[in-house]
Amino acid sequence: MADEMATPAAPPQDSRRETMAFVVGVAGWLVPGLGHALMKMWGRAVACFLTVGLLVILGAGMRGNVFSSRGNDAFDSLGYLADLGTGTFYLLARSLETGGADVSHAGGDYGTRFLAAAGVLNLLAALHAYEAARGRKA
Amino acid sequence: MNAGMGFHLSHFQSLLLFALLISIAFGFLSRRRPIDRVKYIVWSLFLFLLIGVGIGWAMYPFSR
Repeated sequence: MADEMATPAAPPQDSRRETMAFVVGVAGWLVPGLGHALMKMWGRAVACFLTVGLLVILGAGMRGNVFSSRGNDAFDSLGYLADLGTGTFYLLARSLETGGADVSHAGGDYGTRFLAAAGVLNLLAALHAYEAARGRKA
Repeated sequence: MNAGMGFHLSHFQSLLLFALLISIAFGFLSRRRPIDRVKYIVWSLFLFLLIGVGIGWAMYPFSR
């Protein structure tokens, strides 16, 4: 009888864990690898930081297009969203590319892809850290 | 970094760098044991290069 009376209330630990997972996810987005570092997953943290960082530096060095919020069409807006995925590294890319984009040659076009891939990769890593913090994935 | 310090890579060098970096990230994110990571990175890199070069050759007849 006592078992039937007991209602399955959500334990306070769950909401706290959810909040922590959200913080971990946002941290992972803002600084690549920070989400995993907060979870003490050092190998993944270093790998995310280095791969996203290298993709951003190479992309900007190849004079890829770092999209801004003032896009002309849907592709510019999508590119901006992808670039924003790198978090604070987006500002790094903008500061590195003082000469502006040059997509008149293949290198610049590759650079644009490197920057977009860095953003999407970082979003994937942040989502992975979020799921790990929720206890769903390790 | 200014415009004069830009990297100049060939198509294949760009493909190789891209494939290597993405493979490393995928390997670390999706596998836990070091040996599994290495296997995944090598396999993923091989497939990236195989498919990239394969698509390049498939487009070759239409390039002129």
